[in-house]
Amino acid sequence: MTRMNWLGLGFLSPALIMVVLFFLAPVVLTGIFAFTSMSTATGITGGEYVLTSSSVRAMRDAGLPKDTADALENAGYVVDAKGLTALAREFDQPTADELAKLHDGARFSERRDMESALKDLRDNRIRKTRDRKAAADLFKRSVLNERFETETQFRATLTEAGVPPADYDLITKQAYSGWVWTTDNIKLMFSLSSSWRYAGNTAIYVLFTLAFNVGFGLFLAISTFYLPPAQAAGFRAIWFLPRILPPVLYVLMWKWFTWDTGFISTVLANFGISPRNWMLDTATHAWVSLVLINGFVGASMGMILFSSAIRAIPSSMLYASEVDGANRWQQVRYIILPQLRWPILFTTSYQTLSLLTSFEYILLATNGGPGRSTEVWALAAYHTALNNYGGNLQYGLGAAFALVLVVIGILASLFYLRLFNFRTLVGKPLIEG
Amino acid sequence: MTILRKFLATTALVCAGSAALAEDVTITVWAGGSNESDSYRLDAIELAAEMLMRERAIEGEDLTITVEKKRDFGGWDDFKQAVTLAAEAGTAPNIVVTSHLDIAPWSQAGLIVPVEDYLDLDAWPLNDIYDNLMEIAAFDGVQWGLPQDAESRPFFFWKDTMKGIGYTDEQIAALPAMVEEGEYTLQNVLADAKKAVDMGLVEEGYGFYPRVSNGPDYAQFYQSFGGVLQDPDTGKLVLDKTAMEEMYQFFVDAVAAGVTRKNHIGTDWAQWYSEVANGKAALWHGGTWHYARYTGPEGNEDFFGTIEFSLIPAGNEKGRANTITQPLVYLITDQADDDHEDIAAQLVKIASEPRMNSLHAIQSAHLGITHQQSNIELYSNNRWASEATDRLLGHANAQPNHVQYGAFSEAMWKGLEAAWTGIKTPAEAVAELEAELTTTLGDELIVR
Repeated sequence: MTRMNWLGLGFLSPALIMVVLFFLAPVVLTGIFAFTSMSTATGITGGEYVLTSSSVRAMRDAGLPKDTADALENAGYVVDAKGLTALAREFDQPTADELAKLHDGARFSERRDMESALKDLRDNRIRKTRDRKAAADLFKRSVLNERFETETQFRATLTEAGVPPADYDLITKQAYSGWVWTTDNIKLMFSLSSSWRYAGNTAIYVLFTLAFNVGFGLFLAISTFYLPPAQAAGFRAIWFLPRILPPVLYVLMWKWFTWDTGFISTVLANFGISPRNWMLDTATHAWVSLVLINGFVGASMGMILFSSAIRAIPSSMLYASEVDGANRWQQVRYIILPQLRWPILFTTSYQTLSLLTSFEYILLATNGGPGRSTEVWALAAYHTALNNYGGNLQYGLGAAFALVLVVIGILASLFYLRLFNFRTLVGKPLIEG
Repeated sequence: MTILRKFLATTALVCAGSAALAEDVTITVWAGGSNESDSYRLDAIELAAEMLMRERAIEGEDLTITVEKKRDFGGWDDFKQAVTLAAEAGTAPNIVVTSHLDIAPWSQAGLIVPVEDYLDLDAWPLNDIYDNLMEIAAFDGVQWGLPQDAESRPFFFWKDTMKGIGYTDEQIAALPAMVEEGEYTLQNVLADAKKAVDMGLVEEGYGFYPRVSNGPDYAQFYQSFGGVLQDPDTGKLVLDKTAMEEMYQFFVDAVAAGVTRKNHIGTDWAQWYSEVANGKAALWHGGTWHYARYTGPEGNEDFFGTIEFSLIPAGNEKGRANTITQPLVYLITDQADDDHEDIAAQLVKIASEPRMNSLHAIQSAHLGITHQQSNIELYSNNRWASEATDRLLGHANAQPNHVQYGAFSEAMWKGLEAAWTGIKTPAEAVAELEAELTTTLGDELIVR
């Protein structure tokens, strides 16, 4: 018996690996990323310790004592005994002696100036640029723009630079270039009024698209049910086209259809209506287009499910109703619809979840426009995490947006499981019990 | 002598070692936002490699450099994702050609190394590069990259339409100077665009025909109304609420007057180019590199006879006529082997020589980066390059290199979109912009 179970697990393992890789891992990572300050600037794999002039400026604002800040900023390059000894060691004594003669005790704020001081050497020229850079580094007393891999190294350097130990913590915190754990993303997300608008947009999108999907799918299923089989198959095939068309092509055709120079405008121009972009003219236009674009795709799935469910209704019931004198509408109202209750509920719940997270047709069609009026939650997550003209992608904040969808998705799934009474659905048939 | 020997053994190990062993190095270079006419962004590195190999051969070093070039990215987003993800995976290209705005985030991330670690900035050809361009490629006092090209974003007038609304040839020729002096402002733009629409010279919505997506261009209009992007003393970003609202209002007025389409944002670029290059729009703004597109693929054979160009006009007396330059930069990425970083730095240095850079500047209708390019005939004989350099480059400023500038720019654009399309009034849009920026930028923002 045990061996049998292992065998089953073996057969399942490809599916398990897929679930872990493509479902569980992204969800877990979203959860982790959402509580970090991750962005392009912090990187993903961790950070180092580096001070720059702008971080010193930020620390001044954060209360770093002026003396420390000045010391950090003005350390620069100094031609001192320590540097000269190092120069003598790395290069040779005459070079060090000549430099001492020319510039002993000199201070330079920029590396460029230190290098030009080294260029003054006449008898012991350092000819290669790279060697001169190495020599200049021997006189560097500033910790600015120096990257340290570990905190220990960084703190050691601070000690060497004579920074008061009281300021270490503040400086170290500021110097860390990587991401840190934070709940700021969540706070920021809920404090932005645009987030609430995106939530509203998502509600509009899901509700209207869902109503169209289910309503139209139902209409197609019932109307084709009453057609001769060959015609019905033809109609269903036509309505299935939007689903099998590549999304990019499908949306492109919608764009041609609605552009200022597109089909609708051209036809309406004959009636004296001035051309306009029928998809992007106002928020209402955009919403109608989006509901239709998504709806025609979604309706085909409802159509298939409902059609097969209708065919599962014993035909004797329909014949009997006809004998009793029921018309088509009464058949639909009293026989077909009651028996479609579960397929309709299933389609509704399944599509709610997929609509919540889907944004590909919106991205292709309106990209959230006009004026972000069709920016739904999932699209906002995408834009925040992966789209920024200035180059600093906000992975953390984007993940926080996505996390909300994950939470809603899980809650809704649990609710649906309960609603459909999953246990009885998968339970053993009573007749065999 | 022992000290010298030690020195030779340590610091010159590479040179000594590779003299005996032939060294094969592959340098990968990726360019974002580039099309065919920008091929010299990559080809120049190949030419530079040829040069460097010959130089090293004369020095007795057997160095073979193979340059791998790539510029086929879907767009800027794809390119930036590709670079950052490759860097996280440790397979970053050696050289990237990208916007200078990437310097701030990428330097913090440790993805790039400063060119000043390898190059002498006071030596040829770097000492010949325009100072303001070098500054744009620097951040926090460190020279991270080298400018790869220069450009600027002019305002354009279609001459025939201007004549149609009553300008004489002389008046049109005087426009650039009037714009520069602040005598021709954005209010004149609206008035002239309206005339062109009302007289039926251009269709409704084609009086003033702006850029169709976010870009530095819109920061220019903010500056036209007296807006400042960065506080010079503290380096913080600045939101000037009045200037921002007036800038938003300008686009709202343009829509209300029927000279700009309400749904203009998101117009297909190909459609946009063909329309402006052939006189379908009266006034518009673009970039210096548009010259290549208008006269090439779009088939405008008489650029100077049909189009006048100037700075972006001032919006009111607080603002100024201006233009933004957004040079692309050569950046060197962090590699496990410092010698490869060094070779990459040498290559971008050689590629910055005036003659070499002129190949790119003229082929792609960009502006030069060095003073001496005016002594290269290829460059000086080109009317567009020399006139655009004279008229625009001196007045050009750049967007700030600041880690948060991307967030600032996106939020500013979001507000403009909302006002432009009538979802919000300019005042509401600015109020939301302020709320959003104060929350996201915190201490790094100054609100005026």
